[in-house]
Amino acid sequence: MGTCLCDAFYDDVARATVEVLEHLGVEVIFPENQTCCGQPAFNSGDWNASRKVARHTAGVFAGELPVIVPSGSCAAMNFHGNPLQFEECPDASVDSLAKRTWEVCDFIVNGLGIREWKGSFDKPTRLAFHRSCHSRGTNSGEAIIGLLSSIGRAEVIPFGQSEQCCGFGGTFSVTFPHISGRMGSLKLDHILESQPDILVSGDMSCLMHITGLARVQGRPLEHKHAIQILRDTLA
Amino acid sequence: MIDHQLIDTYAREISDEKQTSVITGSAASTEKRYSILHQDYEDPNALRKLAGAIKDHTLHHLDRYLEQAESSLKRNGVQVHFADSGDEAKETVLKILQEREITRLTKSKSMASEEIHLNPYLTENGIECLESDLGEFIIQLDDDVPSHIVRPIIHKNRREIARTFQREGIAADYNDDPETITRRARVFLREKYMQAQAVITGGNFISAESGRIVLVTNEGNSRFGMAPSRVHIALVGIEKIVPTDRDLGVFLNLLGRSATGQQLTVYTEFISGPKDDSQPSGPEEMHVVLMNNGRSDVLESNCREILRCIRCSACQNVCPVYRQASGHAYRATYGGPVGAVLSPLLFGDQFPDLADLPKASSLCGACNEVCPVDIPIPDLLLRLRNKAKQEHIPQPGDVPMSPFATLATSPSLWRTAMTMSKAMNHLPIEVAPVKPLQEWLGQRTLPEWHGGDFRKWLKDRKK
Amino acid sequence: MTSRDRIFSKVRSALEGVKDKAAYPDYDPAVLNSAPRLAGTLTEAFTRNLTAAGGNRIGSPAELAGFLQQAGLTRGYCDPALMDAIGNTLASHGLTVETVYDRSRYEDYQFGITRASGAIAETGSLILDDALTSDRLAALSPWVHVAALREDEIHRSVPDAIAALGPSRNVLWATGPSKTADVEGILIEGVHGPGEQVAIFI
Repeated sequence: MGTCLCDAFYDDVARATVEVLEHLGVEVIFPENQTCCGQPAFNSGDWNASRKVARHTAGVFAGELPVIVPSGSCAAMNFHGNPLQFEECPDASVDSLAKRTWEVCDFIVNGLGIREWKGSFDKPTRLAFHRSCHSRGTNSGEAIIGLLSSIGRAEVIPFGQSEQCCGFGGTFSVTFPHISGRMGSLKLDHILESQPDILVSGDMSCLMHITGLARVQGRPLEHKHAIQILRDTLA
Repeated sequence: MIDHQLIDTYAREISDEKQTSVITGSAASTEKRYSILHQDYEDPNALRKLAGAIKDHTLHHLDRYLEQAESSLKRNGVQVHFADSGDEAKETVLKILQEREITRLTKSKSMASEEIHLNPYLTENGIECLESDLGEFIIQLDDDVPSHIVRPIIHKNRREIARTFQREGIAADYNDDPETITRRARVFLREKYMQAQAVITGGNFISAESGRIVLVTNEGNSRFGMAPSRVHIALVGIEKIVPTDRDLGVFLNLLGRSATGQQLTVYTEFISGPKDDSQPSGPEEMHVVLMNNGRSDVLESNCREILRCIRCSACQNVCPVYRQASGHAYRATYGGPVGAVLSPLLFGDQFPDLADLPKASSLCGACNEVCPVDIPIPDLLLRLRNKAKQEHIPQPGDVPMSPFATLATSPSLWRTAMTMSKAMNHLPIEVAPVKPLQEWLGQRTLPEWHGGDFRKWLKDRKK
Repeated sequence: MTSRDRIFSKVRSALEGVKDKAAYPDYDPAVLNSAPRLAGTLTEAFTRNLTAAGGNRIGSPAELAGFLQQAGLTRGYCDPALMDAIGNTLASHGLTVETVYDRSRYEDYQFGITRASGAIAETGSLILDDALTSDRLAALSPWVHVAALREDEIHRSVPDAIAALGPSRNVLWATGPSKTADVEGILIEGVHGPGEQVAIFI
């Protein structure tokens, strides 16, 4: 599942996902009719709209195969958000999608059993890992940290108040522009203080927000999705 | 046109000074909580899950436990009163006091009493009810309302407090040293304690099994208030019951750690009735007012998990929105994530007025992660957003979602929209009215548009 | 319909909508025990945790006399039953020790020595059982509260202490001195109660 953000902005993240999975011997199928997981409508409270989108997505991904997503947020929509919005009107296809959905790094570590990444940076590289909020309570955060830490010459560095949200939250950043902006700036302060070479996350939405603020504030920051790091450091 | 939510506007207008107090205070509490739980326990999560399960069980059998608690309390010689509404609770308290000709009392911090505005009511009826928790005392002097569940004056700095003390004659001169402020309150309040005829407290837990009420304070104010008083009135929400004494251990271990990073709150008092012959001192009469005030409505709703709450404020402390906006932005007794769920439900007839509160969250889930009773707060916020939508309560800046749903369920339209650069205007974040979008882009840039590039790459490599 | 009836009827009708009622989770109270807090003997753990909570363990009545004198606290109350064990030694060091707590002179007592019914090793808490302690205020109004207890009265953990609550109408666990952080989050000890919480074994 490619996610709407990769479809629109981050084609290289989707590409890296395919390349890494293929490298690991996984055959990747990309159903053409996929669109978005429906989260914008779900979060806004319009569950009639978001259930429509969820049913569409469940139909597109019908079957038995695992569904791999390069986003903790969209994955969580499938396995957490959907069961919530369908609790009063259960839907078998949506249930099935929930059980088969994996965030990509969780899949690599806990699905394929790969705990160490055979790859290396050319030079010592400091990685600041932003754990996206939607991966709370899932295995994704630990999976990504484990993989990144095992890369040659990589150092995953801690930064202050790492449990705090970047302030994006989709439409939240539109209706709460002031608070969202302040949250993002604080996040940026903490990250920059740790002087990373690259900011890494499992969600492009967070990175889009943080770096979008960073550019306007004249504090640009190199950023990558974890899956891009895995691809780029492949031996 | 108002594009922004009220809470965002409030956060925009808050003074830097106030905001710094709130951010620093809540961040420090968050850190203390985290370090003590992880130092003390290998798996703090297991404890939270256990506590949540005990509370869930109790709430699902609340009729039974309420009955059991009532009979245990009575067995212990406690006079039990039931108050279905806030007004009934206030009237019950007033009646107890008037029948005994009590006009001076102290009150230790109680969110239940804040919720029903007990203090102003007693004052109107000629009763002097002095708040004895330092923070609440200052709130009372300033005619303010608490902005935090555990630290009511987190929004004030020492200079404001020193000015209040001088203005109200608590001190002859201005002195903003926190230790001096505390000592001055100590001297002033002691005299009041000794003159008080009764004490009002809340109740953190009631064990249905034994009828023990547990009260916790760090300052010792409820204990001091109780020592000279002849009558003790505890105002307790009906959701505060736990099944057994043994369960108290689970909650006490979590409450202090989650609230202030302490193993236990300093004064943990187990009260199971009025003074008996074995005791040298203590109130001779004890009343427990079991208050509903909307709790049964919450129990009936699909957000009943919020009734597990033990008022530790960990969710408030960790919440990035609360940190930016402060507790007063939530316009009701409970601020932060717990307030965003509880207030619209508890004050049921005000739901449309408070329906914006559940929107005040990026749904980051930090509140659930720190909750000692594992309340799935983000899920509850989402259910309330859906409720507001179903009840057609308009929200400022709301983005219409049906065009998005149409686009996202029409694959060919979606693909076309992706590849056409002008399609940017049809994307979810872009369907917002123009002004907020412009504001959004004023603070942030969007990355370069690569619509459809990935799909093209996939196709090209297959050739 | 009384308020009580209304509440019960509302609660019952609310609960009709709960499909899967949660069972009581069976658990071993030992899951609450904090291993690092319990390290060492009971006395070691108690002393360590009391100190961590801002309390103070004093080894002997003579040492206590020195501690009080150094703080300039020369007048206080001692439970009559503790005169032999503690009070007389203080008096012999020149301190004024009264055995009646007169509430009208609550500010006169700079220290108060009362009997604790036990302690909790895991938390450093002192257990004050109303049925065994003299006037509550004697443990609350003085700047220094000295809790006297026997070493074999220390309970291991919070669950153990709860199991031992007994029939008393009022049991207090005091964990360190009275404190607040209401003003700018700065920790101040001695708000309404004692600024020093002392434990002494008898």
